[in-house]
Amino acid sequence: MTNFKQRGFYFKFYSFLPIMVLFISVLNEFDLNYLKLKYFSFNFPFILIFFFTLKDFKNFDYLLVFLAGLVNDTVVGLPLGISSLSYILICIATSYLRNITIRPNPIKDWFYFLLVIGLINSINYSILTLFFSYDLLLLSYLVNIFFTFILYMFFAYLFKYYLKGLND
Amino acid sequence: MASSRDDFIIAIRSAFLKKSTQQKFSLLTLVFISIFIIVLSSFDLKFIRYLKAGISEVVYRSSFIVSIPENFLKNTFFEIREYSTFFQNYKINKEELNELKSKSISDKITQFENEELKELINNYTLSSDKLLAKIIVDHDSPYLKSIIINKGSKDNIKIGTNIYDRSYLVGRVVEVNYKTSRVLLLSDLNSNVPVTIAPQNVQAIITGTGENYGEIKYIREGISNLNLEDSIVYTSGTGAIFKSGTPIGRVVAVTGSSNRFKVDFYSDFSQLKYIFAELVTKTEVKNEDQQVEIENSQINNTADTKLQILEDEKKIIEQTNLKFKEENELLKIKINNLNKQIVDFRNEVYDQKQIIAQYNIDLDEIEFLRLNLKFGHTCRKSFLNNDGFEVGTLEYKSCVMNKGQAND
Repeated sequence: MTNFKQRGFYFKFYSFLPIMVLFISVLNEFDLNYLKLKYFSFNFPFILIFFFTLKDFKNFDYLLVFLAGLVNDTVVGLPLGISSLSYILICIATSYLRNITIRPNPIKDWFYFLLVIGLINSINYSILTLFFSYDLLLLSYLVNIFFTFILYMFFAYLFKYYLKGLND
Repeated sequence: MASSRDDFIIAIRSAFLKKSTQQKFSLLTLVFISIFIIVLSSFDLKFIRYLKAGISEVVYRSSFIVSIPENFLKNTFFEIREYSTFFQNYKINKEELNELKSKSISDKITQFENEELKELINNYTLSSDKLLAKIIVDHDSPYLKSIIINKGSKDNIKIGTNIYDRSYLVGRVVEVNYKTSRVLLLSDLNSNVPVTIAPQNVQAIITGTGENYGEIKYIREGISNLNLEDSIVYTSGTGAIFKSGTPIGRVVAVTGSSNRFKVDFYSDFSQLKYIFAELVTKTEVKNEDQQVEIENSQINNTADTKLQILEDEKKIIEQTNLKFKEENELLKIKINNLNKQIVDFRNEVYDQKQIIAQYNIDLDEIEFLRLNLKFGHTCRKSFLNNDGFEVGTLEYKSCVMNKGQAND
């Protein structure tokens, strides 16, 4: 692995991969909607941001997360700032969890994630319906929360492998 | 108790304010910036509009580039699926095309008459050009149904411009940038379209459902009891947001409810690649003298156009006749060939019958000769046999065939 670190470009590319994946996913709206499974959707950026900010990953800059939110709003067509606020609130929640946790437990993190995305989607839904008069399906939000929660563990498992590769 | 509250406050404060070595901004600053942007975007300021348009231009183009691999895979999948039913679809389309060609002529005439009548009612004329646009971003979001097209204010696209897939309505423009625009699809929850349901001539409003169909709403009570199934839905033009007479879809009853109907859109929004944006220009009608001149020229134009259409119709009929004649000739030749074949077969059958008859005769002859060898002497008349018969007579033959016994 020393060789890997010596190869500057590849190592930098590998260490910036999460933030690049975040930007690709917000630009590409990676949520597998085209599979046409009824109601199926999940929020990949939420999982990514929650995991890497919880691990206090050094290349996961809050400013870039904030910018990713702006990009997401532009692509989806939401009022500017909504997704940025959601993403930053996730960062705050993970920062708080880090401060109060002595012994990290994946299961506790998982249920804390459910609480956080539930709260953030509620705020999101409230702002859009109350201040911007959007018509939104509450059921879509609930299903999105459910699948995001379910898929968290799967992606967390993959991300752990990534971190392991980086630390080795 | 007090210490646990202090711990909580410390943790919260730390979460909001503490910056790690790599972070340039604290989270609290970013939260304030987000709220500030949300508040600003709710005001329709010119500066914000330009800023948004600038960001959108860059982001839409980037999104288009990033989506290329995924779109390639998606399109390949759809193309493979299409190829598997290609020939069947081709046959159906061919039949439909022939039917539509014949209908198209009469439609043109009706359309033309319709335009003439509209001009008589209004004091202005509407002329429209359809501009082909490519869809550069089509992310099927679970919340909002919209697409991004590669035409913007540079190409005279405005907010509210109607968007079509072939001649079917698919939505309208809700955001215009310099070279890109966002189109709100009819399937979006925020889409409301005033429509007419034909042939019942019922006025209603269609709203999007977030799925690939719309729902009929705000229909007058009593009318909802009518059987609207399979009726055609087209824009009524009420409110002047959408042009009237544009087909949208077909009414389908919602299973389990007799009073609720949904609209199956003619266009499949998930398969859109190119669309048409309708650029409408409004021209005021000129003063009376000019009006008379224009009307005269229009009458001439009208007559010319009608003549042109009729000539086209004549041409098509002539071509069809020619085709029928050619088909007739071919059929005649076929019939002649078949008749000739029948005669040949009959001759063959007759020849074969003759051969069979000759064979039967030969068989009888052989039998007679065989018996003649055996019983000839018994039947032949001779010095010693007075009861016999002369050789070659019928009696002799009959005697031989009866194995030497004369007929009684």
